[in-house]
Formats: sequence, structure tokens, C-alpha cells
Amino acid sequence: MSLSLAKSFPPTPELPVRADVATVSPFPVKALIRDVGFYYGKYQALKNISLPLHDRRVTAFIGPSGCGKSTLLRILNRIYELYPGQVATGEVLVDGENILSPGLDINLVRAKIGMVFQKPTPFPMSIHDNIAFGIRLYQRLSKSDLDDRIESALRRAALWEEVKDKLRQSGLGLSGGQQQRLCIARAIAVQPEILLLDEPASALDPISTQRIEELIAELKSDYCIAIVTHNMQQAARSSDYTAFMYLGELIEFDETERIFTHPREKRTEDYITGRFG
Amino acid sequence: MTTEVVAVPRVTTTRRRPAGGTGDAIFRALTFLFALFVLLILCGVMASLVEGAIPALKQFGFGFLVTESWNPVTEKFGALAPIYGTIVTSAIAMVIGIPVAFGVALFITELCPKSLRRPLATMIELLAAIPSIIYGIWGLFVLAPFVQEYIEPALINTLGNVPGLGMLFAGPPLGIGVLTAGFILAVMVLPFISSIMRDVFETVPPVLKESAFGLGATTTEVVWHVVLPYTRIGVVGGILLGLGRALGETMAVTFVIGNSHHIHASILQPGTTISAALANEFTEAIGDIYLSSLIALGLILFFITFVVLALAKLMLLRLAKQAGG
Amino acid sequence: MQVYTRRRAVNYLVVVLSLGATGFGLLFLALVLWTLLVNGIGAIGPSIFLEMTPPPGSTGGLANAIFGSVAMTAIATLVGTPTGILAGTFLAEYARDSRFGEVVRFINDILLSAPSIIIGLFVYELMVVQMGHFSAWAGSMALAIIMIPVVVRTTEDMLRLVPNALREAAVALGAPKWKVIVTVTYRAAVQGMLTGVLLAVARISGETAPLLFTALNNQFWSNDLNAPMANLPVVIFQFAMSPYADWQVLAWGGALLITATILFLNIGARFLASRSSFNR
Repeated sequence: MSLSLAKSFPPTPELPVRADVATVSPFPVKALIRDVGFYYGKYQALKNISLPLHDRRVTAFIGPSGCGKSTLLRILNRIYELYPGQVATGEVLVDGENILSPGLDINLVRAKIGMVFQKPTPFPMSIHDNIAFGIRLYQRLSKSDLDDRIESALRRAALWEEVKDKLRQSGLGLSGGQQQRLCIARAIAVQPEILLLDEPASALDPISTQRIEELIAELKSDYCIAIVTHNMQQAARSSDYTAFMYLGELIEFDETERIFTHPREKRTEDYITGRFG
Repeated sequence: MTTEVVAVPRVTTTRRRPAGGTGDAIFRALTFLFALFVLLILCGVMASLVEGAIPALKQFGFGFLVTESWNPVTEKFGALAPIYGTIVTSAIAMVIGIPVAFGVALFITELCPKSLRRPLATMIELLAAIPSIIYGIWGLFVLAPFVQEYIEPALINTLGNVPGLGMLFAGPPLGIGVLTAGFILAVMVLPFISSIMRDVFETVPPVLKESAFGLGATTTEVVWHVVLPYTRIGVVGGILLGLGRALGETMAVTFVIGNSHHIHASILQPGTTISAALANEFTEAIGDIYLSSLIALGLILFFITFVVLALAKLMLLRLAKQAGG
Repeated sequence: MQVYTRRRAVNYLVVVLSLGATGFGLLFLALVLWTLLVNGIGAIGPSIFLEMTPPPGSTGGLANAIFGSVAMTAIATLVGTPTGILAGTFLAEYARDSRFGEVVRFINDILLSAPSIIIGLFVYELMVVQMGHFSAWAGSMALAIIMIPVVVRTTEDMLRLVPNALREAAVALGAPKWKVIVTVTYRAAVQGMLTGVLLAVARISGETAPLLFTALNNQFWSNDLNAPMANLPVVIFQFAMSPYADWQVLAWGGALLITATILFLNIGARFLASRSSFNR
């Protein structure tokens, strides 16, 4: 992706975004979601989604089940393309380039955008190979460089101390929380620019959940993070911006503090106060 | 009010261009070719059988199917005896095999203690693992003498005296013959039919059975009125699969059928099936017409089994759609 | 009350009958295995592995037949396994919903249950007639064709069991599809696929009909793949149907060897399968 100026971001009337957010924030926009729609066959699951993702900030997506937040996340690395009949419209500009355009090498795009899924998915290989897998796809490193990268990824994922002596053992032998941290290490080992987290802690116990949240707080200093969560408290605690979605539409997007204290939309307020969801 | 923002891309280490695009195309083409190959095998089988059978079919025409005589000396061949034998032995196999398979499936799914299920199922499935030739020699050396000494005399003395039905059980007790062959086939197809029955019985939603049990129905009644109707299509599919296998079985039948190209009313007499005729005579066949007649037999067998197996598969596919839908 | 007693009696009868049916099946399994053991064990000894098949009336062994069977089974496995795996991969990874995939699956399942003697006829026409003579190559190809549908089926089933989340995780790292399949999906399904191959090998180990007019038989030791080659099933067929006692004893010995191998492979495959589900 080239170094270029991002297009301007005009606030639209239906979108209650504070116009000065972009200028005031010292964190530039890494990705711009512009008028994105999504179809499962004939059924339209997402309508006119537009919002920015700021670099080195955490943007949380909240909303009731089925509102389309995971669908939106999965557009950002085009993983939906694995399944026929699923179509995305609109643009997603990362560093100015539209990653949804058909001419791009999709694998390169995905290498720059990391994803961690809801259920931990360690590959059936050793811990070492799990992390080396992604690195080896695009780089040829010497053995010692590779080991260094693996170690640094595991350290950043707060897993190094627990597995440093068993790197050759299978990743499947770890506990759920450890497996998820392995998946995070695997994702950051390839040095992505954006990290997508799809309910990363929902399949884990409370202690592991807490560790993951701490991890996210540390990781945000290096990555643009987008996280989908059904846990509102988690969104309120860990994120800088929040987007509230409902029935496939973006209802409100703002700084987290603002959304949770003075939401503009009634539906946002209802959801946050637990009146539905 | 417009704003301009500058995005600062991260400095990354050099990346080499991956060959993912062409790699994907090559791999896909490779796997596609091998999948196509499976189709080609079937087409090849059909084509080669037809090609080899044409001389005999041209010579004998439709009469080939209804002529009993099979004379290598005068080079007059007719497929009636092998076809008859194939059908009768398979019919006997079904008459014996279906109820037994059903009993096994019923026992394993509904009646036996849970801990015995896996071991029992495995043992019944081992019946399917034993190759045909083993059943053949066992049939020849163990079953045939036993049948000759005990079963056939008993049948002749009892059912042989019943008017009409007695025709089926006439003749000297030889041990080998159509009945013995049919019996061995029954034992051989039993695991296939029972395994499919077991699988389909297990697809019945427990709530359905529970509501019947809750009304005070006995196990037999639940199976007869709830399980069987629900799994009807799958059961028929399983039976057709067993039939398809029985029609094509070669070695076990070859050992015990007696290899006589004659049609007898009595099932205690020897006969022949298409596959047994092929197994016995193919390597000794001299003369183009003899060889071609044998291949024509093969074509007929292929056609019959193809139809039966295709029907079985269609039924099982319908069941899968019904269960999934 | 009378209706109720009748219903109970019927139920009792059915229970007894199905118990009997199961007993029937187990009885025959035991009978066949027992007969094999009793009649065949006498022939098992060093000589069966070291001496060649004898002419009628003298003693000998089955060395050339054992070698032939092992050789042809090995070649068939080498040909059939990659073919079946790649075809199964296509069905599971590229053709889950396509018309072509449905047709291939249908045809594959028919081939799976098709009479093996027909396959023998096909290879006869294709190879023996063209080459002008019987050969171990032809025998191996016939066995390979019988093996392929089994491997295709089990490979497709096992690959389908691999959860999509695993594929997505690899794709999300930027891996191209073929790499995902070869390095992640195969690895996740390897135990199941191996089980399928073992079961297929067990299946072809006992097949006689396809060898009858492809590899034929050979009274002597031969490792010429281009000529008829001795093999256990056809030797058993010939010896068992003969009136010579020595030959019949050897036939039982060979039958015991084949059955022991097949049971061993089957139990090995099941053991492997149970371990893989444990890992999941």
C-alpha cells in the first residue's frame, strides 16, 4: 500500500459523528469504511456503513446478536470470500487504497490485516510452527531471526514464560486461554498493520478474559485494533471508540466515553442500559 | 467542513512476491483432473465391456438373454442360466439377510446395553471385512457338507412333500447348490444392510421415540410404528445396497454353486451365476465368440448392479436431504 | 387385558428374535474364524514363507504367492492412494456444492460397491489384451481401481470434518488456498485419512476376482512385473478347489494369512480412528 493522503471524511447528516473528532485526535485514520453494504445471497445484512478506524486506537463494535458486527469485521480482511454467494459493496480504504477492489492480491492484503477468532484455532502443529507458519509465508528468515521473531511475538502476547520450554509441543495441548494467546501471537508475528478481534474472549473463562483485555491495552500502542464484543463492560473498559450497530446499520459512532455517558440516539441508550439486547 | 488526514504506514521488512495465484491454479487443476479420472474409470468400464460384448450380441441378438444352452463346443451361448442363478441366489440372500440384518440393527440400537454397542457393532462389521474367497472355502469345506448331511435331507423330507412348494426342494442332497450359495451371500451382505439400518435408526430424533414410549408402547411397537416409517427411505436404500453387493459377489458363490449352466426349479440343485461363470471359465475360454459371450455376461451384470446401486444411492441421498432439511 | 398380554408377547418374541439374529451373525463370524484357525494353523511355519508353491502331490510353501500379493498390493497402494486423496480433496475443498462434484460423488459410490470381477474384465481389455499377456502390472492396476473409490470417500469425509474456523485462521494470515489445504487441513485430517488408506489396503488384500484374469498366476518365483505373478488369493482358489490334500492344507494356510492380515489392518485402522477423535 502506497504512502498517500486519505480521502476526506465528510460527516453525513444521519451519522452522529463529531465532525472535529478526526482533526482533534492525534491518532490518524488507518482505515476508512465507506458506504459498505453486505449481502448473503439476496438478503442484505449490512447497509451504508461508514466509519473510521484510528491507528493505535481500539475501536469496539457493539450491538445485539445478528446486528452485523461480525459480518462487518469479516469484510475488513475479505475472509467472507471463502464462501460463494456472499458479496460486499462499498469501499474500505486502508492507507488510501481500497482493499475491496478486485484487482488486488488478496493474500497480500490479508497478510497486513490480522484476525483472531472467537474460538481459539491453533493449527495441528508445534507451538513454534504455529507462529512460524505465517512468517514463512512471506519472508525468508534465518533460523535465529525466526526464533527471535517467535519469541518476541510470544512475549507480546504474554505467553512466552508459559511455553518457552515446550515450543516443540503441539499447540493443541494448551489451555483455552493459552491457545487464544497463541492465536494472538500468531497474528502479530507477521507484523500486521490492523488487528481484527472477533469476540476474542467470549469462549474463555473470566481470568483468561481479563488477561486478554490487558493484552489488548498493551497491543494498541502498536496496532490499529478493531474488536467485536457482546460484552459492553469490556467495550467500555478497553476501547477508545465505539460503534453501535443494530439490524445491519450503524446507529452511532463516537468516542467510547461519550457513547456510554451521553449517547445521542435513543436506541443506543436503550441497548447500553440493557433495555434490549 | 472538510478535514484532511495523513495516514502514516508502518515501516515493514521486505516482502517477497508470493506465488499464491499460480500455485492455487495448479493445485486446483491437479485435484480436478483426479476427480475427473474417477468418472473416466466408470466410462472406461462401460466402454470396454460394450466393445468386448458386441461380437456375441451381434451373433445371438436378443435371444442371448433367454437362451439356456451354453455350449462351448458348438459355440452356442445363452445367458439365461447365469442370469437366473444370479437373481435366485440374490433373492435367497435377501430373504434370509434382510430380517436378520434388521434384527441385528434393532438389537444394537434399541435393546442391548450401551456398553456393548460399539463392540457388537465392530464384530458384525468384521463380517464385511472377511474376503469373499474365505467365505468360499469355508462354504465348500464346512457349510456344504453340513447342509448336505442335515439341512437338505430335512428340507426334502418336510417341505419337499408339500405340493407345489415341493418343487423347490426336490433332488438329491448335494450340499453345493443354489441354496447354499444364497445362504453364504446372506451372511456376507448382512453386515452392509445392518450397518446402514443402524445408521438410519440412529437419526430418528429421540423425542419422537420418547413420545411413543411415553404413551406406553412396547419397543417393538415404537420401532414398527415410529422408527421404520421415519427411516423408510434409508432402509430401502440399505437393502438395495446389500442387493447390489449380492449380485456381484464372485468367489464365495463360485466355490459352492456347482457351476452348472442349467436351470432347475429346485434350489437344492447346482446352478451358476454370471460372476461364477466368469471366474470359472474366462481363463479357459477359447474362441472369440466364447470370450465375447462371457464379456457380454459381464456387461449384463454391470448393467444390473449399476441400476440397483444407483437406486440405492438415490434413496440414501434423499434421506440425507430429508434429515438435513 | 388380553390385548396387552398379546402385545407383550409379541414384543418378547421380537426381542428374542433380534437377539437370535445378532447371535446368528456372531456365530458365523466365530465359525469362519475358528475354521480358519483350526485348518490353517497346521500349515503355518517357516516353510510357508520360504518354499514355493509345489506341484500337486508334494509339499511346499507359498513364498512366491506371498511375495506377489505384497508386491501388487504395494504398487496398487502407491498408485491408488495419491489418486484417491487428490480426488477426495477436490470434492471436499473445491466442489462441495457443485453439480460436477455431485456427479463424481455419485459415480464414486457406485464404483465402491461394483463387482470387482467387472473391474478385472476392464483391466483385461485395457491392459492384458493390449500388452498381449497377463502381468503383475495389470493385476496391480485392477487392485488400484478397486482401492481408489474407498480412499476418495474417506478422504472427502475426513476433510469435511475439519472445522472451517481452522481454514479461516490460515487464510487470515495471507496463506493461499493450496497452502492452507496442504499444510493445515491435511495435517488436521491426517489420522482419519490414514485410517481410510488402511481400510482400503485391507479391502484389496483379499480380492481374488480382479486378479483372475489380470495377474493370473505363476507356479514359480517371479519378480518380473511384466509377467504373470503368483498371488495368495488365486493360489488359494486353485488349491482349494483341487482334490489334492497337500494343496488344500496350503490353501487353508494362505487363507489364514490373508484373514490375519486383514483383521490386523482393520483393528489398526480402528485404533487410529479412535485416537484421532480423542485428540479433537
